[in-house]
Amino acid sequence: MEVATLMRAEEGLPEGVAPPGGIADLSALLGTWFNTDKNTGGVVRMVLAGMPADFTVHAFGAGSPPSQEYDWGSTGAVAYASGVASPDGMAFSATYDFGFVETFLAAYTKSGILVLDTFNVFKDGSGRSNYFSREFFHR
Amino acid sequence: MEPSRISRRRDLPEAGLRPLAPVDLAPLLGIWVNFDLKSRGIARLELEERQGGLTVRVFGAAYWGEVPAFPFTDGVGLHAAVAFNAFYDFGGVRVTLACYLNKRLLVVDAYTTFHDGSGRSPYFARDHFYIPG
Repeated sequence: MEVATLMRAEEGLPEGVAPPGGIADLSALLGTWFNTDKNTGGVVRMVLAGMPADFTVHAFGAGSPPSQEYDWGSTGAVAYASGVASPDGMAFSATYDFGFVETFLAAYTKSGILVLDTFNVFKDGSGRSNYFSREFFHR
Repeated sequence: MEPSRISRRRDLPEAGLRPLAPVDLAPLLGIWVNFDLKSRGIARLELEERQGGLTVRVFGAAYWGEVPAFPFTDGVGLHAAVAFNAFYDFGGVRVTLACYLNKRLLVVDAYTTFHDGSGRSPYFARDHFYIPG
């Protein structure tokens, strides 16, 4: 199939390389990831599970008191490779909508560490600022 | 007003801090140029305040157009913008930009999915930008 106009050069397949047909290997992502900061007030751990077609994330937020956790439940996630020609997942995104706050997760792996960025939008009129966070996880 | 609901402790404002509205967009505004002149990704972003909101224009191999961008602070009780996200839908290609400031650098993570039957993998790309001068 002919590819339409490229918005970035990196969107094109290298010469002579066949398209992989999507993500096939999630092994770099799957498993339970723990925050490297045991005193975090953000995401404590995440469980990444499933196949490329039904890939999910199950996150747990830091509770108050810290001995408790907020179980965010499981939600669908999208896996990403490091380039258009790779079938190997190394990043993901997902969205949680809690009603009062919507949290977008954007994460990638690097040297065995998972780096998680969250973008949090409050919808409850509480006056809290929408905020960004960045945290690091290990398996 | 005391927030009644949280999903993690960070959703609670720290003692003594009060959110100020609107968010101060100044740290994000300007023309950001990719450090890597040979980048095959995004070459330049232009972030502008318009009627109290934030807009972004992206230039890659082609001009992406202008879309709203959504600013974020570093905490629920803070007001200086330190990050933003934005979404481009080109039909067969959709790109979510997840961006944040790191000192004087703007880090741009692009999460791209294809919906054109081309068989290309969705992919993640990262670029670093600065404001010349």
